[in-house]
Amino acid sequence: MKNARSLLPTVFLTPAMAILAVLALVPTVYAVFISFQDRELSRPDGRFIGLENYIALFSDRRFLNAIKVSLTWEILTVALTLVIAVGLGILLFECASAKMRNFLSLLFLMPVILPRVSAAFVWKFAFHPLYGIITYPYKAITGQPLDLLSNPFTALGTVALVDVWQWGLFFAVIVLKLLETLPPQPFEAARLDHAKTWEIYAYVALPMLKAPLISLAFVKMIESLRAFDLIYVMTRGGPGISTETLDMYAFSQGFIESGRISYASSMAVLMMIATSVAFTFIWKRAKI
Amino acid sequence: MSNITCAHVDKSYGAINVIRDFNLDVADREFIVFLGPSGCGKSTLLRMIAGLEEISGGTVSIGGTAVNDLEPRDRGVAMVFQNYALYPHMTIYDNIAFGLKRMKVPKAEIDQRIKAVSATLGLEPYLSRKPTELSGGQQQRVAIARAMIKTPKVFLFDEPLSNLDAKLRHHMRVEIARLHQKLQTTTIYVTHDQLEAMTLADRIVLMKAGAIEQVGSPAEIYERPRTLFVAGFIGTPNMNFIDVTAASDGNGWLLKGEGKDIRISGGDFDLKAGQKIVLGVRPPDLVRVEGEGGNVLSGIADLIEFHGNDALVTFTIAGKEVGALCKASSCPKSGDVVHFSFDEARLHLFDAGTGLSLRRA
Repeated sequence: MKNARSLLPTVFLTPAMAILAVLALVPTVYAVFISFQDRELSRPDGRFIGLENYIALFSDRRFLNAIKVSLTWEILTVALTLVIAVGLGILLFECASAKMRNFLSLLFLMPVILPRVSAAFVWKFAFHPLYGIITYPYKAITGQPLDLLSNPFTALGTVALVDVWQWGLFFAVIVLKLLETLPPQPFEAARLDHAKTWEIYAYVALPMLKAPLISLAFVKMIESLRAFDLIYVMTRGGPGISTETLDMYAFSQGFIESGRISYASSMAVLMMIATSVAFTFIWKRAKI
Repeated sequence: MSNITCAHVDKSYGAINVIRDFNLDVADREFIVFLGPSGCGKSTLLRMIAGLEEISGGTVSIGGTAVNDLEPRDRGVAMVFQNYALYPHMTIYDNIAFGLKRMKVPKAEIDQRIKAVSATLGLEPYLSRKPTELSGGQQQRVAIARAMIKTPKVFLFDEPLSNLDAKLRHHMRVEIARLHQKLQTTTIYVTHDQLEAMTLADRIVLMKAGAIEQVGSPAEIYERPRTLFVAGFIGTPNMNFIDVTAASDGNGWLLKGEGKDIRISGGDFDLKAGQKIVLGVRPPDLVRVEGEGGNVLSGIADLIEFHGNDALVTFTIAGKEVGALCKASSCPKSGDVVHFSFDEARLHLFDAGTGLSLRRA
C-alpha cells in the first residue's frame, strides 16, 4: 500500500493536470477534428471532406505568402534580438561601472514589462507619418511625411524593431548577468595570450556561454511565434498582406473575412506540426 | 636580457594601500619566489607585473623597458594561474595553440611547437581532450605548456600548485625546477608554501602586509632571518621564542628569562643592558643532553609527535611551549623530564620592540 507521503503529490497534481488537459488538449484535438470538415462560422452543419482543406492550402498564394512572412519575421526578430542582446550585454560588461550596470539593467527591463499591446500602440503612434516623434525629423527636413508602416518594404522591419526593442534589451540584461557569472581567469589568460578585446569575447567568453545563449535563442524563437498581438495592433497584416503572418492569416480566414473555421483550423494544425518538427530538429542539433 | 625592475611600486585600492614602495631587481634567468602569508600583497604584485592590475605608483620595467602602460600581451610575460584558467570549451591542443594563433604564427609552426612542448611535459596523449577530462596535475601541466610555448621573456606563476594534493605538488615542483634548469627563463613564483619557496628559489622575497621583510637566498633567510616575522614564518617545525632581558655580565651577557637564565658571550650581537629581547632557537638546533647545566632548557615532555626519522618533543618553560627535534629511535616518552642544550652560534636574538635581528652584519 502506498503511504500518504507518496500519495500527496498525486493529490495536488491531479486537478491541475486535469484542467490543463481540458484547456490544452480539447481545443487541439477539436481543431484537428474540424480541419477535416467544411465547417463555417455562419452555419451550424458541416461534413467530412478529408484532406481537401490541406490540399487547397498549397494552392492558396496568400497562405504561401504568410509562410514567407512568418519565416522572415522569425529569422529577423530572433537574429536581431540576439545580436543586440550580445552586443549591448558585452558593452555593459566592458564599459559600465557596477552602479551604471544596475541602473541600465533596470531601464532595459522596462520595455518587456510593458504589455505588448500597449507597446504596439505607443510605437504605432511614434511611427505615425504626421504626428510621430520618430518620423518627425524626416518630415521636418524633407517636408515629406515618412510612413514606414504603410510601405510594404519597411512595414515588417519596423514592427520587428518594436519586438527587438522589447526583447533585445531584456536579453542584454541576461547576457550581462551571464558574463558576470563567468570566472575571470580565462579572460585574464586570454589577455596574456595576445588576444585583443574582441577576440576574448569571440573565442573565449561567448563560446563559454554557448549553452545558455542557445537556450535564449529558443525562448525567443517560441516567443516570436506568438507575435500576433503586436502585428495585429501595428499593421493588421498590411499594407496588403505584406506583414500577414500565418497566425494572422488563419485568424482572418476563421473570424474576420469569411468565417471558414475549418480552413483556418487546417492551417493551425499545419503550423503545429511544422513547429514541432522544426523545434525538435533544431533542439537535437543544438545539443550536440 | 629580461631582467625585471620594480622601482617604488605602490598599489592602492581607494584609500587602502596594499603595497608600499616596493623595490626589487630581478636578474636575468633568476628564479624569484614571492613568499608570504595570505593577503600580504604578493599576488597583487605579480598581477601588476603581468599587467592584470593597474600600477598605482612607481615603475615596473621588463628587459629595461617600462611596462606600466603596456597591455599584458605586449609585456612578453606568460602566466600560470592557481586554478589553471584553461579555456574550458577548447581541446588541450587549442588551449596551447591559442596564443600562437592570436600572434598569427603559421599553422605548420604551431603544430611543430606544440609537438615539442607536449613532449617535454608528457601531454601528447591528451591533446584532443577537453580540460575537464584531465586531472588537476595534468591541467596545470597544460597551463604551463600554454605559457611555455610563447617563449616568453618572463614566467609568472601565481600559486600554481595550491590546488593539487601533496604528492602531486611535490612531483610538479620537481618538474618546474627541471623546466627552469632547462629553459633558464626569468621567473617570478608566488606561493605561501615555504617548502616550495625554499626548494625552487634562487632568491626569496619574503613579504608581510605589502612590504618586503627580507630578500635573500633560501639559506640566508633560514640561517639569518632579519626579523622576528621571518624567523617565525620560515622553518618547520617553527622556531621557539623565549622572552628574555639582557644584562651585562663582565665579559659576557646574561639573558634573564622567566625561570631560566642563559649565559652567552654575545660577540655576534649588538646588545644593550636592560634590553627586552626575544631569543629564538630552531627545534633541530636543540640537542638532548643528560642533566641540567648552564645553558640547558629543561621541562617535562608532554607531547611527542612522530615525524619519521625524528620526533618533535614539546615541553613547557615558564608557560611557553618549546619544541625540540630528537631521533625518533631514542626519543623520550610523554611525562619524562627532558634537557636540551644549544650552541650559541645557532641562537637568534631579536629586539622585542622593533622585531629586528640583533645579529651583527
